[in-house]
Amino acid sequence: MTDTQMDRSARSVSRRKFLAATGTVSALSLAGCTENTGGNGGENERVIVTGSSTVFPVSDTLAEAFMEDNGNVNVTTDSTGTGGGFSNNFCPGDSDINGASRPIQDAEVQTCNDNGVEPLEFQIGSDAVTMAVHNDSPIDCVTYDELAQIWSEGGAETWADVNSDWPDEEIQRFGPPSTSGTFDWFRNNVIGDSGSHITQYEKTENDNELVQGISTTENAIGYFGYAYYRENQDQLKALEIKENEDGECTPPSIDAAQSGAYPMARPLYIYVSQESLQRDPVYNFVEFYIEESSTDTISEVGYVPANEDMVESNLEKLENAVN
Amino acid sequence: MATNQGTGEWYGTDEAVSRVRGQAFKTLCLGATLLALLAVFVLLLYVANDAFRPLSADIGWLLSFAATVVLPVLAAVGYYYTRDTKAGETATIALGLPVICLLLAGGVFITFEHIVSVYQWLSILVSLGIAAAIVAAHNRVRADADLERFAVIVGVPALLLWYVPDVILSLPVLPTQSLALLGSFAVPIALATGWFVRRQRESDRDGAIAAAVTIVGAAAGLGVAPVVGLSPFVWMLLVTITGVPVGLYVESVFRRGAGVSGLAFPVLVGGGILMGVVITNALGFTGPNPWLDWGFLTSSPSRTPEDAGFYPPLVGSVMMLLVIVVSAFPVGVGAAIYLEEYAPKRGLLGRVVDLIEVNIGNLAGVPSVVYGVLGLALFIRWGGLGSGTALVGGFTIGLLILPIVIISSQEAIRAVPDSMRQASYGMGATKWQTTRNVVLPEALPGIMTGNILAMGRAIGETAPLLIIGAPAVVRIAPASFTNKFSAMPRQIYTWSSEIDVAFRHGVLAAGVVTLLVVLLLMNGAAIIIRNKYQRRD
Repeated sequence: MTDTQMDRSARSVSRRKFLAATGTVSALSLAGCTENTGGNGGENERVIVTGSSTVFPVSDTLAEAFMEDNGNVNVTTDSTGTGGGFSNNFCPGDSDINGASRPIQDAEVQTCNDNGVEPLEFQIGSDAVTMAVHNDSPIDCVTYDELAQIWSEGGAETWADVNSDWPDEEIQRFGPPSTSGTFDWFRNNVIGDSGSHITQYEKTENDNELVQGISTTENAIGYFGYAYYRENQDQLKALEIKENEDGECTPPSIDAAQSGAYPMARPLYIYVSQESLQRDPVYNFVEFYIEESSTDTISEVGYVPANEDMVESNLEKLENAVN
Repeated sequence: MATNQGTGEWYGTDEAVSRVRGQAFKTLCLGATLLALLAVFVLLLYVANDAFRPLSADIGWLLSFAATVVLPVLAAVGYYYTRDTKAGETATIALGLPVICLLLAGGVFITFEHIVSVYQWLSILVSLGIAAAIVAAHNRVRADADLERFAVIVGVPALLLWYVPDVILSLPVLPTQSLALLGSFAVPIALATGWFVRRQRESDRDGAIAAAVTIVGAAAGLGVAPVVGLSPFVWMLLVTITGVPVGLYVESVFRRGAGVSGLAFPVLVGGGILMGVVITNALGFTGPNPWLDWGFLTSSPSRTPEDAGFYPPLVGSVMMLLVIVVSAFPVGVGAAIYLEEYAPKRGLLGRVVDLIEVNIGNLAGVPSVVYGVLGLALFIRWGGLGSGTALVGGFTIGLLILPIVIISSQEAIRAVPDSMRQASYGMGATKWQTTRNVVLPEALPGIMTGNILAMGRAIGETAPLLIIGAPAVVRIAPASFTNKFSAMPRQIYTWSSEIDVAFRHGVLAAGVVTLLVVLLLMNGAAIIIRNKYQRRD
């Protein structure tokens, strides 16, 4: 017992010494040399962007450009997939802007409204969905009908089932999962009424893995954004597309998508929460985003820029939203 | 065995028993070991090659560095290994300690730069000081009021921490940053150094000298640092965090006089690098163009691979680790102490405890993504903490490593021999005194080793961060625990899905190497602590 008592008193002595020493030094430094204190930026200087992995490169590029001129605004970007972004981030109110590679669905608008989030739609360009095959494939051009046969449930099993000129080999499919906006667009616009999208295929949200898979598998086919094809042109072959038998085979390119010659061009959007727009950083960023959406910044990333009319109407819509 | 003495052979060494199976088994095991090592080694080599791109350098550059650094190092390693193993040990620590300390200094720098400003730290320290004074005074005035003292010990610091820092921060004038750091950081470290030396040497004078040298060394930065081109702030961190431990270690090696020649090793490495730089500059050889360079560590992520950096995720990882250290470690160690020292061992309750322990083991095996979902539901949806913040990230990954912390701490406590507890009881100590004065000090190195290894697991976790919404790209390092943050593995994951190949090969590899270096150093520190502890037995 005495041992612990001594121990305790010894400790309290050293603690007092410690206190006295720090106290003296603090007091000295207080007296010696002083400077004024200033406040720094508040909490609301931030913009949170989530959503489609297709729109992510655009948002991220513009975020970087925006932050070069507005160093105090923190724009964070994330790629969650279109649907994932709506249901997990945007509608619960955790993010200000959600990128989308398809229009918002009614159910999603409902969820958003239930949480008091009012989504505003701005189209910021489009993407040429690219249907790619293995480099050695003999196929050059496909129609929407043939694509629907390849990609619908209970459709073709071998290439020869679709077209007797094609090899009698089993089709290996690679594509985005059902949470992806690319998937939704393809199901609604290419397969359409002729059936439902096949469920048995290699699916991944990571487009690089799709490229990897298709380029290493013979008899493979898959679809993804044009930007990924442009970066890997020598590794796989993009199919030319015609909407129907009378159409003209057109290879994917930014120009062809812009002119409307390439049929598989789908619009890209950002959705902004009406409430978030009342905050200056969000408003400024969205304004910057829309203004930049018709410039080369978009085509450098690998997407089709929006046209001037679209920018005009978007800016007007933005103006109205805050007044 | 006595019967076999004549031939000197063991029973079973003749042809009667086949040794083929044994030999085959041994070879298979060796093969498995080599395969595992080779796989890891090739992977590391591949990643390091991508990160540093040594082949982009002139052949002359490579040759001169081989001559000035690699050859001397190999020679020295050969010497230490064959002639002087004691010095080899010294050499390892003498080279490793400065590197670990520099890393730690970087961590503290990030902490002061982004997490608690020097003034906040000063105000926290002052309020804790006042709290300690009040507790001490209470202790003196009402020495017998145990329960009341408990309330004072818990309540006073909490109250003061809540009110005093704001008061101090709102003062119109404060000391300059360097002076504040000197007072609030260098002085406590100097006092701790003095106390440590005094205890080691059992000499008041030596302690005072050590403390004074530390203070003077740190304060010298106010004058010297600008001349050398450093800010006084960085100088002080370097002196207190790197200079002091290295100085103490070098001094202890000289004092013990064993393996002194090992101290030449870091000098050899440093001098070799310096000479290599001088030679290549003089001869005009261009070095490699690595992805992993100073710019990578200090700049923000970018869409241009050449400009891409790792700084905000580094800060994010440090913040997350701080949250884990503050939240998960006390809880985990507390639970381990209860389970080992207090929990009933027999009867119905003992069974329940057994069940709990088994399930803690099971929890350690639950996939990390499940913890991510738990964190999302618990902290973000139910608790209302913002998504993707360092606080939520730290809590979620804290939950993930909690079972590991508990189990490793339990192991450490269990390793304390029962005879020590019995001896303590025999001297009339209570259970609390035994736990506090005998078991915990003895188990502490083991607990720390386990906790550092758990931190290594925590720093590499990715899946929970994806689930709790840590963003793909954060360009401004988070300024508080409630800001959106990114951590190192999260950023690496982002780079893995970039369109540009340069991201997926170069920048990603640089990130991986950075993360691996941090991880290896943490594990190295854990091993050093464990070895030091084992030698004491």
